[in-house]
Amino acid sequence: MRSSRIIGSAMLALVVFQACKKNEAPVVVPTLTEKTVSGIPADTIVGLVNGQPVGAGRYTFFSFETNAVVPSTDSNSVKWDVAVRGTTIITNGGNSGPGAGGAFVYVGTFDDVKAVPKDSIFRQDNAPTSYAVPNTSNRGWYVYSPVTMLITPIPGRVLVFKTAKGKYAKVEILNYYKGGVTPAATATDAEKLKNQRYYTFRFAYQADGTMNFK
Amino acid sequence: MTTVSFAQRGTDSSRMNLDEVVVTATRTPRSMGNIAIPVSVVSSKTLYQSGSLRLNDILAEQTGIQVIDNFGKGIQVQGLSSEYTLILIDGEPLIGRTAGVLDLSKITVKNIRKIEIVKGPSSSLYGSEAMGGVINIITDRAGQNKTDLGLRYGRFNTVDGNLNFSRRINKTDLAASLNYNQSKGYSLKPNAVQKTVEPFRRSTQNLSIHQQLGKQWKAGASFRANASHIDNTIFVQNLGTTIASKGFEKNEEYNFTPYLQFNKELKIKSILRGYLTGFNALQQLDVKNAAGGYDDRFRQLFARVENQTDWQISENAAFTAGAGMVRETVRSNRYDTASTLRTNTIAYFFAQHEQKISSKLTWIGGLRFDANQAYASVWSPKIAFQYKPSDKVKLNVSYGRGFKAPDFRQLYLNFTNVAAGAYSVFGSEVAVSELKRLSAAQLLDQTTALAGSLSALKPEVSGGLNAGIVYTLDASSQFTANIFRNDLKNMIVTDVIAFKKNGGQIFSYFNLKRALTQGLELGAQQKIGQWIQLNAGYQFLYTADKEVLQSIKKGEVFQRSLTNGQAYRMSLSDYGGLPNRSRHTANLKFNADNAKGYFSTIRLIYRSSWGTSDLDGNGLINRADEYAKGHLQVNTSIGLPLDSHWKCMAGIDNLFNYKDIQFLPGNPGRTAYLDIQFIF
Repeated sequence: MRSSRIIGSAMLALVVFQACKKNEAPVVVPTLTEKTVSGIPADTIVGLVNGQPVGAGRYTFFSFETNAVVPSTDSNSVKWDVAVRGTTIITNGGNSGPGAGGAFVYVGTFDDVKAVPKDSIFRQDNAPTSYAVPNTSNRGWYVYSPVTMLITPIPGRVLVFKTAKGKYAKVEILNYYKGGVTPAATATDAEKLKNQRYYTFRFAYQADGTMNFK
Repeated sequence: MTTVSFAQRGTDSSRMNLDEVVVTATRTPRSMGNIAIPVSVVSSKTLYQSGSLRLNDILAEQTGIQVIDNFGKGIQVQGLSSEYTLILIDGEPLIGRTAGVLDLSKITVKNIRKIEIVKGPSSSLYGSEAMGGVINIITDRAGQNKTDLGLRYGRFNTVDGNLNFSRRINKTDLAASLNYNQSKGYSLKPNAVQKTVEPFRRSTQNLSIHQQLGKQWKAGASFRANASHIDNTIFVQNLGTTIASKGFEKNEEYNFTPYLQFNKELKIKSILRGYLTGFNALQQLDVKNAAGGYDDRFRQLFARVENQTDWQISENAAFTAGAGMVRETVRSNRYDTASTLRTNTIAYFFAQHEQKISSKLTWIGGLRFDANQAYASVWSPKIAFQYKPSDKVKLNVSYGRGFKAPDFRQLYLNFTNVAAGAYSVFGSEVAVSELKRLSAAQLLDQTTALAGSLSALKPEVSGGLNAGIVYTLDASSQFTANIFRNDLKNMIVTDVIAFKKNGGQIFSYFNLKRALTQGLELGAQQKIGQWIQLNAGYQFLYTADKEVLQSIKKGEVFQRSLTNGQAYRMSLSDYGGLPNRSRHTANLKFNADNAKGYFSTIRLIYRSSWGTSDLDGNGLINRADEYAKGHLQVNTSIGLPLDSHWKCMAGIDNLFNYKDIQFLPGNPGRTAYLDIQFIF
């Protein structure tokens, strides 16, 4: 229903647009990018403290607009949209950054999100108490198994983002391990730790500022 | 255990078994041909010729029964897991379950006369746990004037020594037995530092005495003790650093069953029985170790007094009634300190009426009521019909309700895992106070909606329907078919009630899940010539979590593709049902023997693939890589009687050396053994 209304208003806009400049052929600039990104390190394990694995405590910053990792020196800017550290995902907004960013978790497939639902509420980070994308097991985007000690993204969870500059993107996290391959349940603890904290995800970014992902 | 008017036949299983007398199905002795619910018997001859040592060995070869290796060797009957199956020794329930699983390898079969297997719910007679089925182990008869000594040696330094003694002195019947069983364990992975199965030793002692007191009275008592010791060396690896912790596990169990019985002219039989059983478990890991020791203590006590009275009203009607009380206590450091006592008291009564309406039609109805102190009370009815249109055909239909009481773990567990995810599990009776405590200490982040619905747990209940046919072609061929369906509700599951500030989740127990198991069981027995007997069995099984079925239909369940990692909607056909269930299981048993005692057996046991654990994050069995491989196991044995005193047998289990290191750690591969018996 919602998406058909959006399509309807888009078509109406198109008609008005064509009516004004009926002699010129419309120039169609694709504004939606869809990409799959892999190997984004998220504070990979550097050692053990009191027997617990730890990273260096650093976030990796990423921009949907440029489809690239942003240097951490730019962390206090609107150049990045999302950053990852372990299973924690932050947005450029709230108390995490100066941008207009926020996010929420949508239950459904990536293709189900044809547009951001109009009544959506984008949550904002209030680190460390709460995050726009909840960072605990089975509450946000992943589930941790105490039996296999593996982290698995929950299928059917789409992270819908408002970017630092107020545009929209949707993300499906595909894997949390190096090379996009989860170690076998029988792999050693060392192997599971060594290869974790590498994100593989796909995203769609709408550059025109609309809520459409079509 | 019961003296009856029915003629007792020998244990010659090569005969069709319709006139075998069984006691488990109705709590009264009845010939199998007159029982309206699915029941089967494993004879002592089958036990001996199969070379079985422990109860799981022989049950693994029975149609419709799966042995599942998880917290010990538990069984699955009609797709219901070990916690929903009642195990009796001479009619009394065994205790000592770990995570709901009663480890069958604790039980020797060397002093067993027969095993009776009743499928479908029998809570109307037995109360809690009799949902999927009841396995009743009937020990050797006292007063037989025989003594035998057995010794077995097999792979992995497996030694099993056994002494059975049975004698009648004046009017006193005695039976005693001793069993010792050990193995040095094994490693499935070459060069592994930790063994797959650690060395263990077990012992069992039995003593029973029965005294006739005049014509009408009889008294007696049985005592059984069982102990096991398992070495336990655990290696914990943390990024290359290996920490070895030495430890052990010790389990002790004992039962004491005194009784007084009154018989009057085969019309009235009344028995007053006491039953006291205890289970003590101790697990320790190197307490001196800097990585932290582990010390787990569990002491369970179960005491019961019961009267059962059977009244043969007429040739066509029989009535049974009984009542009893149970007191159960547990002390464990899993629930607070090892000295905290947790108790439950149960009072119950049951009644059963059997009526022959015509020469072809019989019905039997039963009802039981259990009033419990620690959780809600429960009624368990059952009704069964048997119709015999001819001598060759027997049709059975039965419906019953089964239940399982919440166990002490579900009521009182207080567990926090400091290492993995800092999660906690609280029993339903302690969860509210624990949440208050954590909240007061400012450790709680937020509670979930479920926390508000924490309340006293109800028993898990099931409704079970069985409909079957037994067709006896002639003295050498018999076919059976039975369809079954079990609908379970109020199943107890753990769910999140709160989150801690450090991210850890807090779980408690709820009556949330509904599930179903349904299927078809087929059996055939064929005698070929004088010596050869063929037995075949097959079970088709479908299981599902009903909540999951509903969510799938609503399109709310997703799975992740193995090829591109993307999520897509799950369809009903992708859903693999409850874990550890094989869709197809089958067996084919070939047996040849003669009157002199020479025998040989070949037994083929097949199990199709089964779901193990979730890998794609949806908590369900759906993807191809979440299944263990189906397989066929072949066991074989031969027997050579040397003279009237010496009997010798040898066998090879798992002839083709099938192994699955990951999903069948309890299967060591091919094992050969030699068994010698001396009969005095």
